[in-house]
Amino acid sequence: MNKFLILVIEDDYAIRNLITTTLETQNYKFRTSENGTEGIMAAASYQPDVILLDLGLPDMDGVDVIRKIRLWSNVPIIVISARSEDSDKIEALDNGADDYLTKPFSVDELLARLRVTKRRLLSMSSETGNQGAVFENGALKIDYLAGTVFVETEELHLTPIEYKLLCLLAHNVGKVLTHNYIIKEIWGNSMESDLASLRVFMATLRKKLDKRSDGIQYIQTHIGIGYRMVRV
Amino acid sequence: MSSIEQKEHILVCVSASPTNAKIIKTAAKMIHSEDTVFTALYVETPDNSKMSEKDKNRLQENTKLAQKLGAAVEIAYGENIAFQIAEFARLSGVTKVVVGRDAVYPRKVHFKASLVDSLIQNAPNLDIYIIPNVENSISEKEKWFHSKLELSFRDIGISLIILLAVTGLGLLFQTFGFTEANIITVYILGALLISVLTNSRGISLVISILSVILFNFLFTEPRYTLQAYEQGYPVTFVVMFAATFITGTLAMKLKDSARQSARAAYRIKILFDANQEFSKVHGTTEIVNVMAKQLLRLFDRDVIFYMAEGKTLLQPTLYKVEDGSTQQIEPSPREREVAQWTCENNKHAGATTVNYPDAAYLYYAVRMNEKVYGVVGLAMEHQSLEAFESSIFLSILGECALALENEKNAREKEEAALVAQKEQFRANMLRSVSHDLRTPLTSISGNAGILLSSEQNLRPEKKRELYQYIYDDSMWLIKLVENLLSITKIEDGNMGMRMNPELVDEIAAEALTHIDRHSEEHRIQNHIRDELIIVSVDARLIVQVFINLIDNAIKYTQKGSVIELRAKAADHWVTIEVADDGQGISDEEKERVFEMFYTQGTKLSDGRRSLGLGLALCRFIIEAHGGTMTLTDNVPHGSVFSFTLPIEEVKMNE
Repeated sequence: MNKFLILVIEDDYAIRNLITTTLETQNYKFRTSENGTEGIMAAASYQPDVILLDLGLPDMDGVDVIRKIRLWSNVPIIVISARSEDSDKIEALDNGADDYLTKPFSVDELLARLRVTKRRLLSMSSETGNQGAVFENGALKIDYLAGTVFVETEELHLTPIEYKLLCLLAHNVGKVLTHNYIIKEIWGNSMESDLASLRVFMATLRKKLDKRSDGIQYIQTHIGIGYRMVRV
Repeated sequence: MSSIEQKEHILVCVSASPTNAKIIKTAAKMIHSEDTVFTALYVETPDNSKMSEKDKNRLQENTKLAQKLGAAVEIAYGENIAFQIAEFARLSGVTKVVVGRDAVYPRKVHFKASLVDSLIQNAPNLDIYIIPNVENSISEKEKWFHSKLELSFRDIGISLIILLAVTGLGLLFQTFGFTEANIITVYILGALLISVLTNSRGISLVISILSVILFNFLFTEPRYTLQAYEQGYPVTFVVMFAATFITGTLAMKLKDSARQSARAAYRIKILFDANQEFSKVHGTTEIVNVMAKQLLRLFDRDVIFYMAEGKTLLQPTLYKVEDGSTQQIEPSPREREVAQWTCENNKHAGATTVNYPDAAYLYYAVRMNEKVYGVVGLAMEHQSLEAFESSIFLSILGECALALENEKNAREKEEAALVAQKEQFRANMLRSVSHDLRTPLTSISGNAGILLSSEQNLRPEKKRELYQYIYDDSMWLIKLVENLLSITKIEDGNMGMRMNPELVDEIAAEALTHIDRHSEEHRIQNHIRDELIIVSVDARLIVQVFINLIDNAIKYTQKGSVIELRAKAADHWVTIEVADDGQGISDEEKERVFEMFYTQGTKLSDGRRSLGLGLALCRFIIEAHGGTMTLTDNVPHGSVFSFTLPIEEVKMNE
């Protein structure tokens, strides 16, 4: 917990202050940067565990900041977008951002995102040993070798596409995957008509999961953006 | 003709006559200033199809000559040449008409006036220049001969049979000893029958002469000679000839006029049908389809249609006769050129006309006044249209243009109304929003001010209350901004709305996550969970609709009320309902709740402010998606807000 370091890249004083005050109340450690160039430097020198990045920076486009950082680091990036246009968020996610917050966001929302990211980082470090063969997330278990999926002890019967979808989400657990990204990964190309199919497959997959998982939602829907598997 | 300084407009009449060239040249010489408009007019008559090759060539030469001399060539259709010229002159503001003296109406024998005479009669105000002509027109004579004595074998056969039958009957009468008067009557009857049964002009003349000769030969003393002893016979012959001829001619004329009125009736029927069809359909493509179907049915020829956009033609659609198929085709460059010319010059062209006669189609512009809506082509296969056919053709094009014009006007009106409506919406909104913003802003700044200046003097509970006010009012502002953003999204039109296939249950679930904290005091039942309905919508906007409706239901009902979300799919549309079991809304208020910034005043359950924008925006959003929004009563009490959205058909890609 003590080691968990957050880098806040935000040019607006009031928002930066809001974020840092929130972080202080929860005893998070943080560093701040006021523009993109500084932010990239800070990311390189402090090696933060999470980056909170505002998309509208004075010196460069936030998406470019993501691209630059992604050249050498896989650090989780949560973008903060003032624009309510989904296309900004989608662009940021497709360029390597993990999650997003839309202004105006509540303090609770911000903390929830950080908790999710932290949990994911923890499970990633503990899983490094047996990664690959079996994926476990709460009661959900995917045996990649056997190609089987279990919730508790009950096997789920999935169609090939549903299985592929579930694996894709599991590989990127905690990350919001955009519709386009998923369609490209599953169908190989991205076509308008596939979006409807994706919706249907996702809905049936989610229903199969939800039916047996006692109120726990493994897959989150992000309207207009994509889907995410939550680390529970 | 009201303008004083009227431009000079010279009209010369083009014909197939060999002397016509001289007339055209003379007319061209009359042009004195550059302003003068020079038009060459050719009137196509029903006899046109009977024109000899020689005449056709001459007509083309004359037309080309006129074009070379700077004339714009126009073509009119009609049987009455003089009337057509006069009409054209009147409509186009012609000041001088140049005609040749030989251009005489062919049916001289029918006591018709010469072209010049009837022209003067039809257009008394026109300056008419008659170019004298020494050469006698061979063409006219040829034509006269052709048109009068053109007898088909069928007609000759019928005539001979009837003549034989009549003669046989005459011989029979004679053996019975009936008087010659009876026999003459029988011949007149024969002539009448022939006139009714045949179509050739002039046949009655031949029959009359033959009848008299036969009567003379067979029935008058001395028989089997062409002589007659009795003194009265020459008179009898003349009277018989006259009676037979007049009877035949009259019958022929009667038949002609019957045919003409039948055609007129047919034409009216077709136009009426077309009109009915046109009024039934909406949309440009539909109207054009109706026109093409009518033309296919009437002319039994392939029809091609180029839609015009400004002055350029789009890819044409071909309507084929054989299989009734409709397809977009790529025309040959030549055909496209001709069609383009037709569109630009607003004149017909192509096969069987003087402009581009080598084209496969006959092209006409579908136009209303100067606006060209498209170009329609009719596959000609070297057969020109009869005057009657082309007049029907033109009438249908006219009807079509009228329908397109109406369509365009309606569309423009609708667009203008929409723009006005949006303007109104925007104006209302700005006025009310800026007014409504003051209250929460006063509250926020005021409460924060108190906290800043006199924090020490406030009791903790009081402080907490002020914080709560600030929080609630800023939340209210956030919601207002969300709604305003939604409006700008729709106002941008199709650019702003991002339509995607979305699951109704996902949208509902998303909306429920945004419902504010007060909802804990209400029981929200979401029945949309297990439906797999996909709609094509802008998800953000529909989420906004759900949020507004649910927020509203929370605000206007007592704590503990039940709010239900339901979805029903039927017939390409899903109906989504947000129902509450509150007090309901009275009938007179039902319409008003959708008005901008209408709020139910003091009836708010907990005194909080409402967004007067909410329901108006909901309706605006739903209508922008093509759906409708309605408000009905719930049973036993409460309100049901329901809206419809188009269902997206899904093709599953496995």
